[in-house]
Amino acid sequence: MRGIMKMKKTHQIQVAVNGEAYTCLISSKTTLLELLRDDLDLTGTKEGCDEGDCGACSVILNGKLVNSCLVLAVEADDGEITTIEGLDRGDALNPIQAAFVDSGAVQCGFCTPGMIMTTKAMLDEIPDPSEEQIKHYLAGNLCRCSGYVKIMDAVKSSIKRSE
Amino acid sequence: MRNFEYMKPDKLEDALSAFQEHEDALLLAGGTDLLVGMKYGLLRPQHIIDLKAISDLSAFRNEKGWEFGALTTIRDMEKSEILRNRMPFLCQAAGTLGSVQIRNRATLGGNLCNASPAADMATMFLAMDSQVRIMSVNKEKVIPLDGFFSGPNATVLGKGEVLTEIMIPEDIEKCRGCYLKFGPRKAMDIGIVNIAVLLDADKESGLCKKARIALGAVAPTPVRAKRAEEILNGNVLSPDLIAKAAQAASGEINPISDFRASADYRKELVKILVARVLNTLLAKSPIS
Repeated sequence: MRGIMKMKKTHQIQVAVNGEAYTCLISSKTTLLELLRDDLDLTGTKEGCDEGDCGACSVILNGKLVNSCLVLAVEADDGEITTIEGLDRGDALNPIQAAFVDSGAVQCGFCTPGMIMTTKAMLDEIPDPSEEQIKHYLAGNLCRCSGYVKIMDAVKSSIKRSE
Repeated sequence: MRNFEYMKPDKLEDALSAFQEHEDALLLAGGTDLLVGMKYGLLRPQHIIDLKAISDLSAFRNEKGWEFGALTTIRDMEKSEILRNRMPFLCQAAGTLGSVQIRNRATLGGNLCNASPAADMATMFLAMDSQVRIMSVNKEKVIPLDGFFSGPNATVLGKGEVLTEIMIPEDIEKCRGCYLKFGPRKAMDIGIVNIAVLLDADKESGLCKKARIALGAVAPTPVRAKRAEEILNGNVLSPDLIAKAAQAASGEINPISDFRASADYRKELVKILVARVLNTLLAKSPIS
């Protein structure tokens, strides 16, 4: 891991987001969420609470699902990030996205990118999760519109679609 | 957040010197407590030292007992197959903290140093007879975790001191254990009462060789219920003995009333839940 040996207030970082390389000049205080939305125009990742409670800002950083609001952009230097924009298959939806649409799991849609990123991370780790495992894995993603029923349907449908 | 100076040294000695040099500096591990505090304006460091490039700090290994680097993530403990085989109660406890997103970043050292009275790893590791290694520029010391916490969000760490390692003795693996985080939600919550219990009892006689009970969210720091432990240690376990121990545990805490629960409710919960956890552990052992 590349270190930063002296105290600095601004940093030039390299990140690979959805397979594309970017060089960005940022402040220490810039969060990864701000970098994605404000500097890279990738607004699919949402700010729901900005404090790691709602999961709307979930992205995959170096293979791990994280709340991007609690990661400093400088911490992601040299990192690989996947956002919701990285799941599309050209003009076609990713099977998880398709499952969410087909299951009626999208009401206002604000929680949806985070829910889908979490589902993707879960299925990459646990290809055939039980109901309890799904609930435990998705516990960090809140939805204020639905009762989660159709979201659970969508996740279960995603498992079948990935087979 | 206001902007700040940030460094990410790859050697511990550089981190220690920088930490000594900058009085206001805060250490960055997982950031899941630090960044929240900064966003709320409760923490206003002008210097931040990111410890994640220091390679030794995030491994855990088994030599005699277990040694955990302070930057071991909660998720790594939760998912570790070897820990699941040897100390399943630890994986279970780790799984109660926050969410997957949080656990992928949050660290053991961070949970201990943030020192919430309700901290999950603090309560579990307190039950595990842990010791902690504390390093500064010219000094290194090892102290028991029991005594590390000095108050809500306060530890005995002095200027320039960094928690680097957490050690637990090998006989902990002989224990059955359970971590109960009690609250209104199944996840994403701070416990109203947290209970960590370890029991090493003889399979045939039911004689209790070692009992450890640590309680969280019921005092200014996580605490050991030592009078309850004394009631159990060296005696044959039974529901009656367990009831006495649970009553004692309820008497040796000092909870506050807050918006989550009243002090009285917490005392009652400790009495009921300590007994429930002990009876569950007793039932699982072959003697009954």
